[in-house]
Amino acid sequence: MSGPQRSGRPARDGSRRAVVTGLGVVSPHGIGAEAHWKGVADGTSSLGPVTREGCAHLPLKVAGEVHGFDAAETVEGRYLVQTDRFTHFALTATELALEDARFGRADVESPFSVGVVTAAGSGGGEFGQRELQNLWGQGSRYVGPYQSIAWFYAASTGQISIRNDFKGPCGVVAADEAGGLDALAHAALAVRGGTDTVVCGATEAPLAPYSIVCQLGYPELSAAGEPDRAYRPFTEAACGFAPAEGGAVLLVEEERAAVERGADVRATIAGHAATFTGPSRWAESREGLARAVQGALAEAGCRPEEVDVVFADALGVPEADRAEALALADALGAHARRVPVTAPKTGTGRAYCAAPVLDVATAVLAMEHGLIPPTPHVFDVCHDLDLVTGRARPAEPRTALVLGRGLMGSNAALVVRKDGTAPRTA
Amino acid sequence: MTRRRVAVTGIGVVAPGGIGVPQFWGLLSDGRTATRRISLFDPAGLRSQIAAECDFEPLEHGLDLATVQRSDRYVQFALVAAAEAVRDADLDMAREDPWRAGATLGTAVGGTTRLEHDYVLVSERGSRWDVDARRAEPHLERAFTPATLSSAVAEEFGVRGPVQTVSTGCTSGLDAVGYAYHAVAEGRVDVCLAGAADSPISPITMACFDAIKATSPNNDDPAHASRPFDADRNGFVMGEGAAVLVLEDLEHARARGAHVYCEISGYATFGNAYHMTGLTKEGLEMARAIDTALDMAELDGSAIDYVNAHGSGTQQNDRHETAAVKRSLGEHAYATPMSSIKSMVGHSLGAIGSIELAACVLAMHHQVVPPTANYTTPDPECDLDYVPREARERTLRHVLSVGSGFGGFQSAVVLSGCEGGLR
Amino acid sequence: MTDQLDYQVTVEELSALMKRTAGVHVDPITLRQQADDGFDAFGLDSLGLLGIVAELEKRYGLGLPEQAERCKTPADFLALVNGALKTGV
Repeated sequence: MSGPQRSGRPARDGSRRAVVTGLGVVSPHGIGAEAHWKGVADGTSSLGPVTREGCAHLPLKVAGEVHGFDAAETVEGRYLVQTDRFTHFALTATELALEDARFGRADVESPFSVGVVTAAGSGGGEFGQRELQNLWGQGSRYVGPYQSIAWFYAASTGQISIRNDFKGPCGVVAADEAGGLDALAHAALAVRGGTDTVVCGATEAPLAPYSIVCQLGYPELSAAGEPDRAYRPFTEAACGFAPAEGGAVLLVEEERAAVERGADVRATIAGHAATFTGPSRWAESREGLARAVQGALAEAGCRPEEVDVVFADALGVPEADRAEALALADALGAHARRVPVTAPKTGTGRAYCAAPVLDVATAVLAMEHGLIPPTPHVFDVCHDLDLVTGRARPAEPRTALVLGRGLMGSNAALVVRKDGTAPRTA
Repeated sequence: MTRRRVAVTGIGVVAPGGIGVPQFWGLLSDGRTATRRISLFDPAGLRSQIAAECDFEPLEHGLDLATVQRSDRYVQFALVAAAEAVRDADLDMAREDPWRAGATLGTAVGGTTRLEHDYVLVSERGSRWDVDARRAEPHLERAFTPATLSSAVAEEFGVRGPVQTVSTGCTSGLDAVGYAYHAVAEGRVDVCLAGAADSPISPITMACFDAIKATSPNNDDPAHASRPFDADRNGFVMGEGAAVLVLEDLEHARARGAHVYCEISGYATFGNAYHMTGLTKEGLEMARAIDTALDMAELDGSAIDYVNAHGSGTQQNDRHETAAVKRSLGEHAYATPMSSIKSMVGHSLGAIGSIELAACVLAMHHQVVPPTANYTTPDPECDLDYVPREARERTLRHVLSVGSGFGGFQSAVVLSGCEGGLR
Repeated sequence: MTDQLDYQVTVEELSALMKRTAGVHVDPITLRQQADDGFDAFGLDSLGLLGIVAELEKRYGLGLPEQAERCKTPADFLALVNGALKTGV
């Protein structure tokens, strides 16, 4: 991923910290961090019926769609024809993150000092379905030249790199949900290893007809028909999760480089750890998630009591919810019952790899606004957790713990801290 | 942060021409090719109708029926390769701390072959956009996400530490090993199963490379179609397969008395930010990856004894790579053998980087450089020593493997012999 | 650009194809005026040109010469394509 890259800055001396300086969000709540935050803070729900073409007859009824998205407002036509919707989201979110961080051409010391890392759970499914239809409906000569670069999982990283002339370490984690946090850990690793800036995040577009058919095999997928009942983690009525599209891209920078160019340091990526306990074996995820939390806190040099808010994975499967509540108790001890826990993704749906990245963006916004957003659709919590429900809760969170678990068995935890709280260790 | 040394202690390979390390090395050291007319489906009508296919019978290679039924072909490849690697490393996972073991597997196109198979069913051969979910077969969700690859390998071997699937196009196999190298070097895991798998020989993948004329149309002579660095090269020949390496903290390997093949001593990757499929003539970004990997290994370019090339056999790739290697190694490039095993086993997209690293480990083990098969006519723009057609004995202390991938990825891995003269 | 009167593929059609298959917007007037500029100056890359060649091949039901996809300028491309269509090669 990284190495001591020749960017003229000291590498591996333990003093390089990865900080977040920009947020680019494309979420069911809206385009841009501000629109997203408004939806999250108000506790509104953007879950609704699946309206993408050709999906109405399918048994998945509720999802978080990104409405009113026009990639052409930010991205040139030639990038759009050769990419899928998931890359349209990624290119747009990148543009928003760069703007948000006020990171312009002049800030690029060398193209090699800016890397790109994305996570992708399923690639360009809608584009792929269209080309499969061309192939099987009409013949191989009807497959276009962009199929080779639009469907695969690396499309977004490649196009972000090309469109912005970023030549630093480029990577792709093709992962389940937890992979979004792994991508941020890769970015932090690259920064610590000598790269000044990494564009990092995940976006997903899994709501094409054939992509939905593929997801129907997940036993965790919610089959509920009403948006307010489809995704209700930590309740007796938990019946699975509602999927979503969209995601977030963050600008991750080396702290001193960010300060030197006059950027606002929004948060520090302080610690990360990941484990694996197998697909759909949710009871076992308790130990895996607890170990991930402990590992992330250790890397962050953070005591359990210092965690001010937890962004839960909140799968919405009773056994998994129980395992998560117990994992928090195992890892945080008595503090687990006191710390506010939230799952704003019940208002957007789970955008696979992008879900925890969106949570990290939300965590940064929550720390800035002094407000812990609520968990829409959830009222009657049946676990020993202080789950924030109903309305946003005023607070002054300075350390957020973001959790992610994946349908293929990964567990990950990431600690983000407001500037000034993390020790200078690598 | 003290970086730990990272040893390679086991190898497993599923490649065209025979399953398993002995068959693989036999093919390479003999300079035989495993390319032929596609048999996995009827390729009539395609521009490129040839590929390097694996003769793979999963049940004969130790997989049980339930595993075969729920696993795509590329996952089956990975499971068989991983089992061989774990055996080769004499690694008893029951004696390892599972939370200190990881799995990092790469793939470029994941479960697309299975996805295409079921697509044909649910769309009634491409006749409807609003597909019929009832026609889908079981376990399709496992083809949908490439996370399945590393998940399946981790499950099989009881891994509980960090598990990742890496997908950086055709450098996935190098990058997966590179990511695992970092995880071991930085102390996040003690042992890591690292490798890659792809089974891309399906109509949609062949057709999409047809559309950009990247694959060789030498349908009349499949055995000689893959011609890296040769003046008459006209595209790559699709392949399939998997390779898995066991990476270990060197001290951990020594403590359990494991045989150490070599060390991973450097790794780097950069984007070329140029074009999704195009490469520059200069190869600056690949050269930078090589230079950075050499820096990590604390080596000068003149220390490299063999370059395992990406050598896909497209006009632009082989020029690009030749320029990059000359830029990094200088005059020493002319004295360094550089070969492409894609001439023999084809280009298995994301898998090939790991298969090539396995070839590098074996080359160091046997002190033999595998050749570039089919190389007969020099190209003035590709003027290095490509080891034409015959393997060559040579002292190999430090070996470099490079790769380029769609998306602009440029990666380099340096392997170093473990005994004597190292660092 | 000479002898364009009997061209089967016009500048207008090329402009439309560039937009539809490659997402590159160049109006026909500009394209005609700058027909000797490189395709890359308009943002059309090699994959884009391959897509246009494939479209024309499907439309006219014949294979175009390999050089078509290597043409550097709109003028060269139109001359070659229309020459090939005329002779039916």
